[in-house]
Amino acid sequence: MKQKKIKFALGSVLIVGAIGYLIATGINSTSTYFFTVSELMDQKVSFHGTGLKVKGNVVAGSIERDSNDYLNVHFSIEEKNSNLNVVYQGVTPDMFQDGGEVVVEGALDKQGIFHANTLLTSCPSKYEAEKEAGGMHPGALPDYQPKLKPKLDLKKVDSLPKTTV
Amino acid sequence: MNDIGEFTLMVALVTSIYGTVAYVMAARGNRIDLYLSADKVPLITWGCVMISSIALWKAFFTNDFSLQYVYAYSNIELDYFYKFSSFWGGQKGSLLFWTLILTSYMIVVHFQNRSKNLIVVPYAMAVMLAITVFFLLLLNFSTNPFERIPLPPEDGRGLNPLLQNYWMVIHPPTLYLGYVGFTVPFAFAMAALISKNLDDAWIRLTRKWTVVSWFFLCMGNLFGASWAYVELGWGGYWAWDPVENAAFMPLIIATAYLHSVMIQEKKDMMKVWNMSLVLLTFVMTIFGTFITRSGLIQSVHTFDEATLGYYFLGLLFFIIVVCTALIISRLPLLKSKNELDSFLSREAGFLFNNLLLLGIAFATFWGTIFPIISEAVRGVKITVGPPFYNQVNVPIALALLALIGIGPIIAWRRATWSNLKKNFLKPMMFALVGAAVLFPIVPLSNRSEIYTYIAFVLCIFVLSSMLIEFYKGTMARYASSETVLGALGSLIWNNKRRYGGYTVHIGVVMIYAGIAGSSSYGIHTEKRLKIGETIEIRDYMLRYEKLAAIQATSVKTRIVAQLAVEKNGKRIWTARPEKEFYKGQNQPVSEVDVRSTLASDLYVILADFSEDESATIKVYHNPMVKWLWTGGWVIALGTMVSAWPDRLEQRRRLERLKLQKIVFSPSQE
Repeated sequence: MKQKKIKFALGSVLIVGAIGYLIATGINSTSTYFFTVSELMDQKVSFHGTGLKVKGNVVAGSIERDSNDYLNVHFSIEEKNSNLNVVYQGVTPDMFQDGGEVVVEGALDKQGIFHANTLLTSCPSKYEAEKEAGGMHPGALPDYQPKLKPKLDLKKVDSLPKTTV
Repeated sequence: MNDIGEFTLMVALVTSIYGTVAYVMAARGNRIDLYLSADKVPLITWGCVMISSIALWKAFFTNDFSLQYVYAYSNIELDYFYKFSSFWGGQKGSLLFWTLILTSYMIVVHFQNRSKNLIVVPYAMAVMLAITVFFLLLLNFSTNPFERIPLPPEDGRGLNPLLQNYWMVIHPPTLYLGYVGFTVPFAFAMAALISKNLDDAWIRLTRKWTVVSWFFLCMGNLFGASWAYVELGWGGYWAWDPVENAAFMPLIIATAYLHSVMIQEKKDMMKVWNMSLVLLTFVMTIFGTFITRSGLIQSVHTFDEATLGYYFLGLLFFIIVVCTALIISRLPLLKSKNELDSFLSREAGFLFNNLLLLGIAFATFWGTIFPIISEAVRGVKITVGPPFYNQVNVPIALALLALIGIGPIIAWRRATWSNLKKNFLKPMMFALVGAAVLFPIVPLSNRSEIYTYIAFVLCIFVLSSMLIEFYKGTMARYASSETVLGALGSLIWNNKRRYGGYTVHIGVVMIYAGIAGSSSYGIHTEKRLKIGETIEIRDYMLRYEKLAAIQATSVKTRIVAQLAVEKNGKRIWTARPEKEFYKGQNQPVSEVDVRSTLASDLYVILADFSEDESATIKVYHNPMVKWLWTGGWVIALGTMVSAWPDRLEQRRRLERLKLQKIVFSPSQE
């Protein structure tokens, strides 16, 4: 009876140990540092080359797209008077816009430019909160921002003609 | 009506406090008068919460923007469908919605068990009422949905466009039904501990609740994945975000619990373990709520108002301390009479299944809270992303998949060589043949693809072992029945729990296959296109045909790109990805277009467009995503079968108990 108990305890320990090993090695090989822009600037050690995640707000008017390659985006993010230049290649999320909070994931190069391979923007409900935090009085009507209207001057139609497939 | 809503919330609070106290006193002092009086509380509380909810719904439907909550989540133009769902669109309403579900469950439990068990049930009701009190306290004093704006604005801010999707209408209620559902087994477990009625009565009373809650949680996760897939436009359905993990962890622990209670029912073992699991499941639902409401962990989608999380943290600590103390003080009563015999037994299979599931839950938990821990210990925030979860959870999940195949066909107690040969030979052969057939077809160039290959082979193994079980059972009955279908039907009908469970397993295998296929073989490409230009992916060629602006409603403008999709020179589909612009919301919403088949999804996004009608198009080719959703429906079918009322069950249990007395005790060697 005792033996059996020991046998099962050993088996369980083996499984738990294996899972623990997986977790430990997983953390070691995949973890990235997470900073806000100012925290990153305050770091004494240089982080260039290592994987980083940085949070900040997009500096208004800083978003520039390459005229030849539309998917090549330059912008800077700021937080508490610190600035970081970011280069990103790819489609930007819907909520990527001036002043918006973003989290970029990637690495710094030697010139201090951040090469992002992922670009995340905040979520729907958080975005509502930010608008609230922006000091808008609950009673005030939200402004309709005309500049965000579709820039496209296309002929407006009610629906697209059906195509036969 | 708003005043009534606010008032009934207060009444609900007072009555539920009274009910908690009265139930406990009635059970302790054996006082029938108090019991009869407390017995009216669930209905009154539910009625009050219901009235309050109706008041809030009415405010939404009548555009009463004097309520801050209605102002923040609705506007005049909002569709009625979404006005209905705006109820749970924000923090305050979702808490009221939670309370509504909780009290609704409570009266169902009340009517189900009123005359059944006069020792356990009052305590269970008291526990449920106490949890209701917590939510009502929040609703009354911290997040009142009936908070007014002194000068009512003319129109509301509107619901975030991203939430205006039908999945977003079904997903939160489904998840809540699951989350809240686990309060019932938890309450009964606590009641069993408090009243020292520690046989399997509480498990039997709540088995259906567990199954149904598990089902809703499972569906809630899948619906959330669907929403992310069709609405967020990043080509994927799961990102291991803390909020997703918050819904995923209770599901995994509940799965472990669902399996391990079978051991207690059949073998009277693992009592402490089951108690701990049901406690842990409930704690995880509260922890999940804490994560989403506290803003403590960086997530792409968290709720607003960071203060509320700490109430949940307080509740969390309170529950953990009380329950741990209760379990420890009842340890002598929770001793099992039987014990495990052999590694090669179904009991051992259940044990390992539990360890693996908890392993996945713990890895997910650790990854989720790692930023906090690293900040506390080392002073820097270190995060882990999807690579961590995949690296850790995929191997564990594969071992688990193998167990899904082994568990149901291995013998109880101790498997003999002949049993193994009889049950495993055929599935193993199927798996080997599958492995040989797949080997030259599938790519095996990196770790992910090798994992996928292993997953496919295991899927074949599990699927064949399940189907053989169905086949054997049907053939055994076929002799006495006229048709094969009739035999299959009566087989399932007379063993609902067993074959319902098998069906759920088949659904799970399909989900495994879908995840494996889509996570390894998916590719994507993006290109800036002028009218008439093409983009290619796998065998498909997409030709950009036109761009149109459609004024859909007075508040919504749709910009639609049209692409002809050709395969082998033949036009097979027209893709129309679009971007929607809502008045008053300063962000456009991408509406992807998906062509979904069991083999693969073609997923087209209009990423951007400009004045010269050129557009940036991103295309994903995601194999086998549809398997996930189909697997979900199979799970739904299986759950329905296994939760269907079964009169035979009781008789079978009694027979088993008789048998147990003869065969298993005393289990000495």
